[in-house]
Amino acid sequence: MGVVMPLKAEAREMTTREVAKADSTDMALFVRTSQEDMMGWDRQRIVDALLRETFLDRDTAEKISKEVEKIIQTGTVKTVTGPLIREMVNAKLLEMGLEEARRMHTRLGVPLYDVDQLLVQHNKENANVPHGPEATNLTLAEGIKKEYALLHVFTPDVADAHLLGDLHLHDLGFIDRPYCSGQSLEYIKKFGLNLPHALSMAKPAKHAEVLLAHMVKFAAALQSHFAGAIGWDAINLFFAPYLEELDDCAVRQLAQMLIYEFSQQAVARGGQAIFSDINIYWEVPKHFETVPAIGPGGVYTGKTYGEYESQAQRFAWALFEVYKEGDAAGRPFFFPKPLVHITEKFFKTEGHMDFLHHICEVAAVKGNTYFIFDRGETAKISECCRLSFKLEASDLEDAKEPWRMRYSALQNVTVNLPRLAYQAQGDDTKLFTLLTEKMQLAAKAHEQKKNFIGKLLAMGQNGPLSLLAMELDGQSYLRLHRCSYLIGMVGLNELVKVHLGQELHDSDRAMKFGLKVIAHMNIVCNKLAESMGMKFVLEQTPAESTAYRFAKLDLAHYPEQAAKTVQGNLAKNEVYYTNSTLYHVGATMNPITRVDREGLFHPLIEAGAITHVWLGEAQPDKEAIADFIVNVFRHTQNDQIAFSPEFTCCLECGKTSRGLSETCPHCGSEKVDGITRITGYFTKISSWNKGKLGELKERYRNTNKFAQA
Amino acid sequence: MAGWKTREILARGKRGNHMTLFTKDDCVLCEQIKKQFDLDAMDVQIEVLNGKDAGALAHLAWHRLVETARKRLPILVLDDSSSVDDFTHIERHLAARAQERGVAIQASAARAACDSGSCAL
Repeated sequence: MGVVMPLKAEAREMTTREVAKADSTDMALFVRTSQEDMMGWDRQRIVDALLRETFLDRDTAEKISKEVEKIIQTGTVKTVTGPLIREMVNAKLLEMGLEEARRMHTRLGVPLYDVDQLLVQHNKENANVPHGPEATNLTLAEGIKKEYALLHVFTPDVADAHLLGDLHLHDLGFIDRPYCSGQSLEYIKKFGLNLPHALSMAKPAKHAEVLLAHMVKFAAALQSHFAGAIGWDAINLFFAPYLEELDDCAVRQLAQMLIYEFSQQAVARGGQAIFSDINIYWEVPKHFETVPAIGPGGVYTGKTYGEYESQAQRFAWALFEVYKEGDAAGRPFFFPKPLVHITEKFFKTEGHMDFLHHICEVAAVKGNTYFIFDRGETAKISECCRLSFKLEASDLEDAKEPWRMRYSALQNVTVNLPRLAYQAQGDDTKLFTLLTEKMQLAAKAHEQKKNFIGKLLAMGQNGPLSLLAMELDGQSYLRLHRCSYLIGMVGLNELVKVHLGQELHDSDRAMKFGLKVIAHMNIVCNKLAESMGMKFVLEQTPAESTAYRFAKLDLAHYPEQAAKTVQGNLAKNEVYYTNSTLYHVGATMNPITRVDREGLFHPLIEAGAITHVWLGEAQPDKEAIADFIVNVFRHTQNDQIAFSPEFTCCLECGKTSRGLSETCPHCGSEKVDGITRITGYFTKISSWNKGKLGELKERYRNTNKFAQA
Repeated sequence: MAGWKTREILARGKRGNHMTLFTKDDCVLCEQIKKQFDLDAMDVQIEVLNGKDAGALAHLAWHRLVETARKRLPILVLDDSSSVDDFTHIERHLAARAQERGVAIQASAARAACDSGSCAL
C-alpha cells in the first residue's frame, strides 16, 4: 500500500499534538525528529540538510531525496526517525560513491542496545569513574565526542592510526579540552574567585578556610575544562601566609579539610573526584625565596616567602599526619596526591630527616607519598600520574609573580611499540623508520588538536573555553603558545622482547637496545619540535587502558606474534603490555635494581617518569625507606618513585586490612574490595579493567629488601 | 642481591680497556681536546651528541651522564666506567693515557672560552 505523505513545508511547524489530531490519511507517515518533535514527511528537509552540511549541488541533493522518498513510499512503516532517514541518505551517498559527502553528513549517536548496557554496566575504562547516572552521561557524551574527534578534528590517516592501534589518542572524549593543568594558588589569592559567567564573584580570601574553599571550587571549574589532572604548586608554601594566626590544632584541621575536600568532591567528570595533585616542599624553593608573599585579602604581607618556611613546614607536616591516619575506615586517601620534592636544598634544610621519616612512614603505612627527585638546579611542577613540567628560564621569570605560573599539556599521544617490532621483523632500520613515522603522525595529531583548541579559545568570553580565555593577569589562562605536547610509549619491554628475544631485565644488551629506542624517540621529538615550533616532549604513558587496548588490538591484527608477546592471562583475556619503559611487573628483582635500572630511561623522558615499588602486604620501616630515598636521590637518575601497599576493605564491617584477601580477616565476609595503585593513583580494584587485573596478578611484590639499601 | 655500590659496577657493564669521550659538533672545548690528542691512537672512542645519533645518546644514558651533559661537555668515561667532566681533569687523564700508549700530544693551547653555552647537550 502506498503511503500518502504531506509534502507541505507547513508540516514542519506542527506540534506533536497537532500532528496527532491531523487527518490520518494525510499524515500517514510521521518523522520523529532529533528536536523532540514529530513532524509530517517533507522531502525538502533532506535536500536542505545535504546542501547545508555537504558540498553537493542542488540537483544531486534533489535526486537523492527523491530516491529515499521512493524507498520509504514502498514500505509500510507509519513512523520513521530522523536518524533512520539520515542513514538511508547516507546509504544512497555511499552507493553513488560520494564518500566525502557521506562523511560530512554522518550522524553521531549510540545504538539503543549500547545505551541499555551502559545504563546498568560499569564502564571500567577509567577506574576513577564511579558507576552511576553521571558516569553514564559521561560515557555517552564521551562516545559522541570521540566519534566527532575522529571524523572532524583529525584527518583520516591520524584517525585510522588510532582506530587500528598504531597510536592511541588519549581522551578523545574530551576533544574540546586540553589534557591537564598545573598552577599556582597565587592566582586565586591575588584575583579571588572571579570566573567568567559565574553567578557570583568572590574577592581574595581573607581566611585560610575560605582560601581552601576557593581552591576547591577553582579546581572543580578547571577539571571541567581539562581532561586530566589539576595540579597545584608548592601548596604548603602558598598557604603559609594565612597560617600565622592559627595554632597547630587549626592547621591540622585545615590540612584535614583540604584532603577530605579533594578526596570526597565527586563533582568532576562522571561523578568522579577531581584528579588532584599537591606539590609539597619542606624547604622554600630557591625561586620563591625572595618573592613577596601574598596574604589575606590578596595583599602583600611585607615579607618574602623565604620568611614563611616554618609555617609552610607546619602545614606540610600536618598534611602528612592526615595522610597517615587515612579516612574514617583507615583507607588511604585516593586524592589529592601528595608530591614531595626532594632537592639539594631539602637536605640542607633544618628538620629534613624528621620530615623524611614522617613522609616515609606515610609511604609505608598508606603509600600516599610520591617522591619527586629534583637534582642539581632542576625545578619542576608535577601532576597527573607522573607528568612533570621542568621550569625553564621563562617559568623562573614567571616565578617572581607566581600567579603567572601555569602549565598545560594539550594532548597525549601514545605509540604502540610492540607492534613496530612485529612489523620490523628483526630489522633495526625498519624498526627505527617505523618509529619515526609513527611519531610524525603523533605530531600531526597534536597539531590538529592544537588548531581545534585554538579555534575554541579564540572565541574568547563567548566561546566554550571562556574560563581558559580569561585574562585576569593580562594573558589568557591557557597560554597555548607555551603548552607541551606529550608523546608517550607503551610496551618498550615487549618491543625489545620481540626484536631481541629478551626482556629489558634479562640482559645489558636488551637494556641498551631499550635505551636506544627511547633515545631515538627523544631525538625525533626534538627535531619535530624544531621543525613545527611546538614543544613535543616524551612522557611515560600511564596507560591505564591503553596497555590493555593495544594488547587486544594486536591480538586481533597480529595474532601469531602477539599471542607470544602480550603479558597476562590470554585465556581470561586479561592481557596487557608493560607500561611505557617499565620493566615487566613480574620480573623478580630487588627494589634497588628496579629503581636504578628503570631510572636510566628517565633523563630521556623529559615530561615525567616514575618507578613503582609494589609492596603488597609488606610494611617496611620508615628508616629503611628513608635510606632508600636518600640513595635513590644520590646514586640514581630516577625521577620519581612511589610505594604501593595493598589493602582489603570490608564492605560489611567497614574495616581495612593490609594485603589483598578474598575474605575480610576481621569478620570473614566475602564482600570485600581491594585497594592499591592501578597506575599513578590509588583506586578500588573492582573498578579495574581486565588488562590491569591481569597485571595485578603478576606484580612482583617487594617485601623487606629496603634495609640492605 | 646488589647493593648501591655493587649496583653501579653492574649497571655500567664490564670493565674494558677503552675510554669514551662524549662530545658535540659545535663544542669548542671538545674541539680543543680533539686537536690536542690523537684519540684514535689512544683507543679513545668518540661519541658525538649531534642530535642525530640515538646510539650515542643511549650510550650517554647508560653511563648516567645525560644530566651532566646538559650542563657541560666534553665528558670522558674512563676504562673503569667512572667519568670526568672537569676539562683540566680530562686533559690530565688523556695525557696520562697518551704517555702510557706512547702517543704524541699537541701543545696545549690556551683553554678555549665557551661563552655561547654550546659546550653542553
